Amino acid sequence: MTDLGAIDYVWLGVQAVFLGPEAFVLFGIPVSITLLMVAFGLVLGIVVGATPGLGGVIAMAISLPILISVFGFNSDALLPVMGFLIGVMKGSTVGGAVPAILFNTPGTPDAFMTTLDGYPMARSGKARKALKIAHFSSVSGDTFSDIVLIVCAPFLAIMVEAYLDLPEKTALLILSLSFIAAVVGGSAAKGLLSCGLGLLAVYIGSGEDFYPRLSLGTDALSDGIPVTAAVIGILVLGAIFTELEDLWHQARESGRIEVARDEGDQRLHWADIRRILPFVGRSAFIGTAIGALPGIGSTLAATIGYATGKRFYARRKAPDAPEFGEGAPEGIAATEAANSSVSGANLIPVLSLGIPGNTAAVFLILAAESIGGFNPGPSVFKFSTDLNPELVIAFGLFTTMILANLLNWTVGGVFMRSLGVLVRIPKQYLLPVVLLLTLASLYVEETSMSAIWFAFGFGVLGYFMRRFEISPLPFVIAFVLGGRLEDTARQAFSATGGDPFFLLKSPVAAAFVLGAVAIVFLSLRKPKAAQS
Amino acid sequence: MRKLSATVALGLGCIAFGLLIALIWVPFDTDTGLVERSRGRYIVGDSLAPTLAAVFILLSGLMLLVERRDGDARPSRNNLIFIGVMIACGVLSILVMRYSGPLVALLSGADEYRLLRDTAPWKYIGFVLGGVTMICGMIAFVEGRFSLRAFWIALAAVAGIILLYDVPFDDVLLPPNGDV
Amino acid sequence: MNKFFRFAAVAAAAMTVSTASLAADWSPPGPIKMVIAFAAGGGADTQARLIAEELEARHGWKIIPEQVTGKGGLNAVNTLKDGATDGTVIGMIVTETLGYNMAAAKAGQPTDVTPITTTAGTQMAIVALASKGWKTFGDVIEAARAGEDIRFGVMTGMLGDLAYVTGKENGVDFNIISVRGGKAVMNGLNAGDMDIGFGAGIQAKAVAAGDMVELASARSEPLKASPDAPLLSDFGVSFVNETAFLFAGPPNMDPAARDAIAAAIAEVVTTEGGKANAFITKGFGGPVVISGAELEMAVQKDFDASGALIAAAAE
Repeated sequence: MTDLGAIDYVWLGVQAVFLGPEAFVLFGIPVSITLLMVAFGLVLGIVVGATPGLGGVIAMAISLPILISVFGFNSDALLPVMGFLIGVMKGSTVGGAVPAILFNTPGTPDAFMTTLDGYPMARSGKARKALKIAHFSSVSGDTFSDIVLIVCAPFLAIMVEAYLDLPEKTALLILSLSFIAAVVGGSAAKGLLSCGLGLLAVYIGSGEDFYPRLSLGTDALSDGIPVTAAVIGILVLGAIFTELEDLWHQARESGRIEVARDEGDQRLHWADIRRILPFVGRSAFIGTAIGALPGIGSTLAATIGYATGKRFYARRKAPDAPEFGEGAPEGIAATEAANSSVSGANLIPVLSLGIPGNTAAVFLILAAESIGGFNPGPSVFKFSTDLNPELVIAFGLFTTMILANLLNWTVGGVFMRSLGVLVRIPKQYLLPVVLLLTLASLYVEETSMSAIWFAFGFGVLGYFMRRFEISPLPFVIAFVLGGRLEDTARQAFSATGGDPFFLLKSPVAAAFVLGAVAIVFLSLRKPKAAQS
Repeated sequence: MRKLSATVALGLGCIAFGLLIALIWVPFDTDTGLVERSRGRYIVGDSLAPTLAAVFILLSGLMLLVERRDGDARPSRNNLIFIGVMIACGVLSILVMRYSGPLVALLSGADEYRLLRDTAPWKYIGFVLGGVTMICGMIAFVEGRFSLRAFWIALAAVAGIILLYDVPFDDVLLPPNGDV
Repeated sequence: MNKFFRFAAVAAAAMTVSTASLAADWSPPGPIKMVIAFAAGGGADTQARLIAEELEARHGWKIIPEQVTGKGGLNAVNTLKDGATDGTVIGMIVTETLGYNMAAAKAGQPTDVTPITTTAGTQMAIVALASKGWKTFGDVIEAARAGEDIRFGVMTGMLGDLAYVTGKENGVDFNIISVRGGKAVMNGLNAGDMDIGFGAGIQAKAVAAGDMVELASARSEPLKASPDAPLLSDFGVSFVNETAFLFAGPPNMDPAARDAIAAAIAEVVTTEGGKANAFITKGFGGPVVISGAELEMAVQKDFDASGALIAAAAE
């Protein structure tokens, strides 16, 4: 066997995407299934993003089990399935801007800032142009973020693998969890609570002993709680209950949605692009930096991107140009570039450390775990001379991201501008249907009624967490990482021969642990209003 | 006396829950302690990780008591009514989904449902009845009235899910057919 | 204690032939639930799914795989225990579940399930990265005696005990690290988190490529890929690990169903050119088919003998 270098792996990854099993032949050129799935994912993502009440998370939760049923449990399934999820992730970010601009209803939470300038632009007859600006900025930010990911993740992973031993890895997990708990949402205490509940849930029925701990002697608890049931329950069902209740309270607003007629020039000129480019650049940088830290969502990125853009704009705007908030294209650009550039960078911690930083990454990990054959984390980036299939998959994933961006650049914009009609779907019908669809999907993957009961129960918990303003994200991430945290700690303890101070013996591990404590205590003191 | 704020109540609840887990649930429902001796060495026992989770919950309770806060989020009475109805509706539908198929099989004197669970039309009984109950119930509650439209939408949605999952895939089983 | 295969292998070959026609006479009264006690995507899971696939193709049976992992296969045993006895519930576990794990957990008896047939053995070896420079397990013991801390990765309780006893016999105290699944041992070795570890066959590719070496065989006979590697008995250890993959059903299973399923599975794993056979040959050193009364006796014997290792490791 010939020795493989880094370039060979990149090339193999590209080949795995384009020359994988083919779906059909178009004009004599075989189209690979992965390519097709990325395109499907992108389309679905744009659609759910543009539908108020739905979003990328719901689409991923529903499609994951069905994809696994279609593609089976072998490593050939990884690229099509994960490519699809990546398509959904990217599509939903773009799609969220559609209802925000056209109807002043953000399709996804992070599109809220887009309404501030998008809707005024639409009302003054510039709807198509606003959508084009949103699309251009969003895809630019996303592309930039992906490039950073592709360049950084392998190096970070290799460094981690070379320098971090078991105690340091344990400490790093603790640091990540406390960081997520402290920064998500408005309150560090509530973040920590969410994290603690997630850990408690994942430790039920698991463990090393033959007796299933915390099972209260019941059969249902002794097999543990399936991770998909917990994640889907907290994230999807909890959100559906909350949305449904808002509808119930509103007693159905009957007002018809006004759509302004487009007037004048709707094209995106080079001059426009030049005008918004500085804003796109700043926001992309901000979004990428924020995205690389686990747990801080795109909403914060959008807020900071918008605020930074606003300050910059005030200094240089022409006197007759509209202010931010009155229909300035730069406002849309600053928001969309920031929230979209989070998504690529958000995969840096998951691919290099195995630590998911957001919900999309959680679903990528679920996909990888359900299918098998790919364990996101530092061990992936082992450039061995004999074939390391996981590394090929990693470069395949990078390729699907680039592919999704190319599709997004070309057809995504056209497609998204045709979706204004989706806002008219009555949510009170849509949401219960989505609820049943989600449960059916979950069942398809878990084939156990107890998974449905668990998901429903966690949905209720997710609902109450939202009503207490407790962010569900630390719960989900703690649930996904809890098992690994315990295993790594066990292994580190055994590896050091049972040293009770194993977390403090090495300077790196000690620094991580002190950092974790410091973050939680500092976040108690600082005012939180800016982050909510 | 001022009424207890929701955050303080939540904090106290967390402290109590954390103590309950750490002092009662974990010690009495776990085989090994925080650390144990095995093969001549100390190793981490099964109690350590859940105790850590309990400490997190306890700590969050303490922090809730001292943390500076902007609001006092709490579920209102309306919230409780809403989620109560949702729970009732969900539990009822899942029960219908699980047991209506076996019940019909039993009453009609056909084979045991377990053996019929991959045969149409038996395999659809539970999912159709349970699914329609769930969707109809939730729509009716949110709209404040029962409408025939909701029923047709529910039926169409259930049919759609069957077409999406069951018809194209031989290996896929709809609830409750995988584990009866 | 572990003359598991030799004990029963003779009768096995003959039995496969004599029961081959049974599968044709029996058909399941409904879909068959196949409980898989291993994590999705691993070697054992793939083996089970390939067998299911071929059973469906050959006999037109409908098989529904269901993952029930955890507790060294005891969770799967619990699921099987209450299953229907008409052949519609079977599961894949390892012999270690019914032997060491049940004995160590003090949870049940091998008779809690009906053993149907084994499919494959394992090539259990002590493995290290080639870059460590060790040629045989003797080098590791030298290094440990010279004061080096040796981290030893294991994936089951029995292997943990075996590692401990091996160290004790040689005056060495390993830092034994338990992980979940053979893949995790391989990752630990690659990452440098462990120095040596057990591999049940997953190491085959890396050994062939020269990235890893098999330092010793944990079986009672030499390894197929590294016939020169010493046996644990060369280091004064009187225990071995000869875990085999095994299909089992609920207790009091209908004999007709049991024999038919055993024959059908045996046919699938031994037919050359089949996917399951190819997979087993590549990863687990070839099919090993033992069924019927022989298998029952072997399993019971394994269980009865497990106490010795548990006692040796508890000293």
